[in-house]
Amino acid sequence: MSTTRHLINRRRRQASALRAREGAPATAPGPDAGPESDAGSPKADPDAGNPEAEPDEPVPEEASPPSSPRRHALSVALSLLPALVLGAFAVVAGGESAALGDEPAVRNAALSDVARTSELKGRIAKAVESVFSYDFAAPARLDRAVSEHLTGGAVAAHRRMLAAVREAGPRQKRVLTTTVTHSGVEHVDGERARVLLFADQSSTRTAGEKDGTTHAGAMLAVDAVHDEHGWRITAIDTFGAGS
Amino acid sequence: MARPDLRIRDPLLAAVLALTVAAAGWAGWGGWSWYTAAHDDAAAYARERDRALAAGEQAVLNLNTLDHRDITRGLDSWADSATGELRDQLVDGREEFERQIQRAKTVSSAKLLSGAVTELDTRAGRASVIIALRITVTAPKGEPARKESRMLGELTRTPGGWKLSALGQAPVGNATAG
Repeated sequence: MSTTRHLINRRRRQASALRAREGAPATAPGPDAGPESDAGSPKADPDAGNPEAEPDEPVPEEASPPSSPRRHALSVALSLLPALVLGAFAVVAGGESAALGDEPAVRNAALSDVARTSELKGRIAKAVESVFSYDFAAPARLDRAVSEHLTGGAVAAHRRMLAAVREAGPRQKRVLTTTVTHSGVEHVDGERARVLLFADQSSTRTAGEKDGTTHAGAMLAVDAVHDEHGWRITAIDTFGAGS
Repeated sequence: MARPDLRIRDPLLAAVLALTVAAAGWAGWGGWSWYTAAHDDAAAYARERDRALAAGEQAVLNLNTLDHRDITRGLDSWADSATGELRDQLVDGREEFERQIQRAKTVSSAKLLSGAVTELDTRAGRASVIIALRITVTAPKGEPARKESRMLGELTRTPGGWKLSALGQAPVGNATAG
């Protein structure tokens, strides 16, 4: 049974035989090729009397020149494959590990860095207690606390919040004491942090119409930065409440 | 025929080999850093902290949200947010509470202002959160009442995720450091 390849080889041989016989350029058999070009006919096979064409050899002169560089290129490409696969894996792995390290949850060191969290909590609780405490007998203490613990926009915000206390304080003989009862670090990433605090505020007036002590609960969140002075508050968020 | 072929392939082969070795080194380093990043204890702890906070915030919101017109679903979500003793309390008091709400015809909603995890023990599966809320209660008559609420929650890890096992308001007046 002749396969397609045999058929093609036979056609080539027939064409070259024809070219040799007629001196015509080697082309695909045209209509003038005569009955010899009729594929599949064993009687028309010129191989029988042709010594140079081995029936099992698929014409090496023609197949070799174009396929050698191509095969070479293929083998180079194949030998590069392991490097490509490894390189692709390295790119994926590098991206994945960077993504894992860059995850907001992972960059936030709240609680996962115990020392930093407790230092931050302690500093901020102390700062909040001192900047929200006022004693009419020593108003300068509040100023010192402000310059020590507040920076940026927190200074002006704090001035607005305590304006009434400062103004009426001496007359009312007012003492305001703030005690932080609960605090939690929402996030701390490098030099920036946000802390949520619950505090108790007691206000005592020993002069004026309304004597006595009042208690109130407060909640606030503060933004803080760490600089050469340690942690300092840059913003005070009272969630829209008074103070 | 074979000799010119070898002369071309030799430096090429060396280059390919060097490239493969370099790629293997790079891949090894990448794989190692991927592995360590994925198995980093601090990172796993940080993720667990955020999961606990998210669950705690949602649970506290759920427990402060109730619409008398859809009380069954509201109280189902209460029970679903809690575990342990808190859940028992909610389930036991459910019928009585349902009657009260239907009589009062109130709609309560809550807005999360801020929240933080204050303690986390991943091994024991326990966490504490503090959450600042604004609660709005609307009764059939009168203006909606708004109030800020300072919630303290205890969370327990269950097969269904972190759930509230205790919830209360931060007390005012008797200041005790915490």
